[in-house]
Amino acid sequence: MKHLKALNQKAQLLERAVAEDKVEEVVAMSTVAGCTATVDPGWEVDAFGGVAGLCQPMEADLYGCADPCWWPAQVPDTIINYPDWNKDAPSADKDWRKLDSVFPKDAL
Amino acid sequence: MKSPTLVLSALLAALLPATPALADLADLSRDINVPLVEGREYMVVPNHPNQLNVLDLAENKVLKTCSLPDAFGPGSVQISPDHRIAYILNNRFFGLYGIELDTCKVTFSAQMSQNEEERAISVLSIAVSPDGKELYTIQNPTRLHPDHYEVLQSRLAVYDTRSGLDAKPVRTFPVPRQLSLMQAANDGSLYVLGQDVLKINPATGEHEVALPLLNWKRPGYGVPDVLSAWAAQRPSREFAALYTAPKFKDDKQDMESADFVWGVLSIDLKTGETEVVDFAPLTEIYFTGTRSPKDRNHIFTVLNGLRKYDIKEQKLLASANVDHAYYQVSTSLDGSRVYLSGTLQDVAVYEADTLKKITSITLPGGDMALCTAQVFVR
Repeated sequence: MKHLKALNQKAQLLERAVAEDKVEEVVAMSTVAGCTATVDPGWEVDAFGGVAGLCQPMEADLYGCADPCWWPAQVPDTIINYPDWNKDAPSADKDWRKLDSVFPKDAL
Repeated sequence: MKSPTLVLSALLAALLPATPALADLADLSRDINVPLVEGREYMVVPNHPNQLNVLDLAENKVLKTCSLPDAFGPGSVQISPDHRIAYILNNRFFGLYGIELDTCKVTFSAQMSQNEEERAISVLSIAVSPDGKELYTIQNPTRLHPDHYEVLQSRLAVYDTRSGLDAKPVRTFPVPRQLSLMQAANDGSLYVLGQDVLKINPATGEHEVALPLLNWKRPGYGVPDVLSAWAAQRPSREFAALYTAPKFKDDKQDMESADFVWGVLSIDLKTGETEVVDFAPLTEIYFTGTRSPKDRNHIFTVLNGLRKYDIKEQKLLASANVDHAYYQVSTSLDGSRVYLSGTLQDVAVYEADTLKKITSITLPGGDMALCTAQVFVR
């Protein structure tokens, strides 16, 4: 980390969290757990810093956020790059087991 | 003894183990050509995989489900003034379509991108003129160069609704960036939600700020935040959205001690009058709110719960638990019922006075996600 310099507020918060041994609180979650109030990947909290204000359950919010690329880091971009990501899963609540990870294809 | 119906159902279920549920099959078999009835109240709402549902609100059931062309999303709907055509922003934000509700026939289509070099999308932006002759959208084009993308000027595109399929705009005008929801006023002006609410003349492209938001100078308040993806067409002809804002204790404008409030901003599409009014402290998150047609001083809000407030008194009048988060709250035209839509697959129906749940209407297919629901009387 000594060769990296925090340039924006989020990076500065992360730097402070490392110093206070609170880094686990700011590491990006590996799964989608609710909606963010802004496109802010990694900070899955509501406007009050908790989770009660996130859409419940998270499946209710999954396509509402995936369709407009609201969660660009957490779910595939279905507008341009991965339009078929959920084509066999019209209901997030019932079909979530059919959703899978995607991987960029090699450039031609 | 088993009834013949039960035996038949069991047989069908055994024969169709890998197909959709029987209820879904029944839904898909509905006659798409059944006409809507004059004087009857309906809801139109799209859902995954790529379809448009017409709900009969007198019977709380799905009347028909129209298949839509191309791809799904976001499903932003505006109903024509004669209540015969549902215009929908769809095809992953790239296309506009007109669907004749009596027949499910596609009567209009247009793609945002105007040539091979550009890729244009519309961010939830669709409106129809009060005479039904023109359809409006804000297009945000990007030119795709071999080695880089170039962001181009955003534009208002005006379509003639009689242009049929593969329509081209009859007029375009440059507009500011970051414009989204819009609705057409009785005088033909467009009111468009962006950093501020703009009033645009679709005949000339001239625009002005009708209601400042990011740039409001409201004494004692900080900058508001507005999240809105649902341009509900209300019988009151009110274009409305919720906001949150810090309300300061004094001139020091200290954010730490500020109270955060919910409010509703509205434009009267009949007169052009605007209103900004607080109605509650910010204690939970709502995605939409709508005033009661019975009493404009009452507002319903929803996300993880359904609430009813007295605006003047800033008092919570009623509250109801919901089965899951819903994005959009609508009312019947007489204000007696409240409908919750968006997110998953069911439209929930509540009594407006008591917020007692009446029923849920399950849609065939999948999630409504970000789709707009519109309630109207044919």
